[in-house]
Amino acid sequence: MASAGERAIAELRDKLVGLDFEGAKKAAQDALDAGVSPQKIVTGGIGEGMNIVGQKFEKSEYFLSELIVAGEVAKEVTQLLQPHLKGTQLKKLGKVVIGTVRGDLHDIGKNIVAMMLETAGFEVIDLGSDVPAENFVDAVKKHSPDIVGMSALLTVTMTEMATVIQQLKDSGVRKKVKVIVGGAPLTDDYAKSIGADAFGRDAVQGTEICKSWVAK
Amino acid sequence: MSAKLSKMETSSPAELVFGLAKHPLNYGIGLDVGKGSVVPELKYFTRSASEGRTEGIKGEFVSITSDVLQRASELGLPALQLETEFTFVETSRPRMVGEIVIAQKDMLEKHCERFGTAAALRATIADMRDVRRKGLDPESRAKMMESFEAAASNGADVLSIESEGGKDVFNHAVIRQDLKGVLFALGVLAPIDMKRLWKDIVRVADKAGVVPGGDTACAFGNTAMRMADGVGQMTISHVFAAAVRAMSASRSLVAYEEGARGPGKDCAYENVVLKAITGFPMSMEGKTSASAHSSLVGNVAAACCDLWSNEQVPNVMLFGGTAPQVFLEILSYDVKLMNEAHRAKRAKEVADLLISSDKFSDPQAFVLAPDVAWQIGSAIVSEQDDAYRRTVAACRTALDMILDAKELNLSASERRFGLKLKDELMSMPSDVDQFIRDSLDEYRDKVETFRPRDYEL
Repeated sequence: MASAGERAIAELRDKLVGLDFEGAKKAAQDALDAGVSPQKIVTGGIGEGMNIVGQKFEKSEYFLSELIVAGEVAKEVTQLLQPHLKGTQLKKLGKVVIGTVRGDLHDIGKNIVAMMLETAGFEVIDLGSDVPAENFVDAVKKHSPDIVGMSALLTVTMTEMATVIQQLKDSGVRKKVKVIVGGAPLTDDYAKSIGADAFGRDAVQGTEICKSWVAK
Repeated sequence: MSAKLSKMETSSPAELVFGLAKHPLNYGIGLDVGKGSVVPELKYFTRSASEGRTEGIKGEFVSITSDVLQRASELGLPALQLETEFTFVETSRPRMVGEIVIAQKDMLEKHCERFGTAAALRATIADMRDVRRKGLDPESRAKMMESFEAAASNGADVLSIESEGGKDVFNHAVIRQDLKGVLFALGVLAPIDMKRLWKDIVRVADKAGVVPGGDTACAFGNTAMRMADGVGQMTISHVFAAAVRAMSASRSLVAYEEGARGPGKDCAYENVVLKAITGFPMSMEGKTSASAHSSLVGNVAAACCDLWSNEQVPNVMLFGGTAPQVFLEILSYDVKLMNEAHRAKRAKEVADLLISSDKFSDPQAFVLAPDVAWQIGSAIVSEQDDAYRRTVAACRTALDMILDAKELNLSASERRFGLKLKDELMSMPSDVDQFIRDSLDEYRDKVETFRPRDYEL
């Protein structure tokens, strides 16, 4: 028969898969109360739960949106556990500066990518939308990210991405970062033509590309 | 003057046919809309605006207008409407708006006089309030109203807007498929904002003797539509996007209750529902808007249009002329076919084919089919009391009909999500005050830019 701790871990996993914020937090608290180590709650509850959600997404059982919400549930539970994870800061995969380029107010695509990256374990510095090229450059200098991500929804604003890349070059920081671009009107060829390192067709592919870069 | 619409102006879905509206309009330079024929409505985007330049904008609008009128005369078009949708840059310069309108209207008048054409100019003013960053900023609102006045007093025939009250909460919710947040945005926040905004727009229109057209839930329904994307895409559920479309009809109806008279703006796909409720003529876009974005509703959207639009096209050169010229020609042939169908008394037959070719290919197309849209409209007007309850009713009807339609062949994930939405809807309070109390703190915490005081909440 499963112990109270094991039951709480299983409950946490199920609540996370069910995208139940309060249920997941309660299960995590129950696990702590039952004496389960925070590390085990992270790996056995959150980690396993996120794996199941990821598999459901890959099998087209879950929508990307549900993957994002699961990531938010995981984040809230992790915050609850943080005081108990003494000296064991969860290591970030890498750092990404992200924004929608100047002239473009469409931020939903960029927000989805930012949330996916956070869920994957990246630290994300979100510059927002309608971001001037100089702000991207300043953020790279200030935060020393591994990756710069740019988004544009309009054919008339995507050209701004080339400006950002040129200014990164002019400021001498282009070689310090990988650049990934995305947005409905973009293509792989366009990304190459402006000197980006990659084009993310969608948030999932973009996140996978970023993960592959920091894994090297 | 505001008046709640508590009954359907149309008596059945059979009345929803292209080119015919219960309450047709006559405006502009002798233009009849909804009186038995469909009119092409052309929209264009300047290179100057796309390059972020302010100089040369007026000259480019003049050039576009000259180009399209040249093509209109070559095609022998009997009627057309131009829509100039002003950008933030232009809307922030009311004087420029007025100058552009004067120039375009002058050219239209000369064209009509020479060729005996009927024509009109729609001016769509940008919602400059930048809800996603600054909330409902009053200074920007004042500038918008100045631009409405500049357009109306200088010759625009129809006034429209794509207003964005509630957009910040909506954006937060749509990414998460959070039905409560969508209901709060479309059923509470947007109607509060639109009620105030449209009072002022109607006042400006009445003073100038022009037509207050309508509002579009483009920032809501079309955001969901683009996120849902093509067949089999899994960013958000297509059932969810279809439910958002139905809910957006309740939101956009507010403009008509405040005095808008149509024709509703093209990108408001919810116009099918609004035509059913109000009987006013509507502009629609479909396959012809592939120039601006993809959709799964290209044919069904045409079934009951009164103006047929291309959504947006940049002023660039194509093999066949400028893109606006090319799109005017594409629109004109679509319209010619629809008008020939009326002449041959086969309009209903053609409309039925437009509907059946799309209806069961996606839930988003399904809710735009006139029989479904009419039921959604009936559900909306049956809830006379408040916009929130109307929005819930629209959502419930859309979900019930989608989940019952076996021909839609919903995937397991779509059906699961549709049932989940139904459960969530059932759990919403029936009382709007209770709903607002439940939502206020939650979204104030979650959405940085959301300020309840902007909505007097």
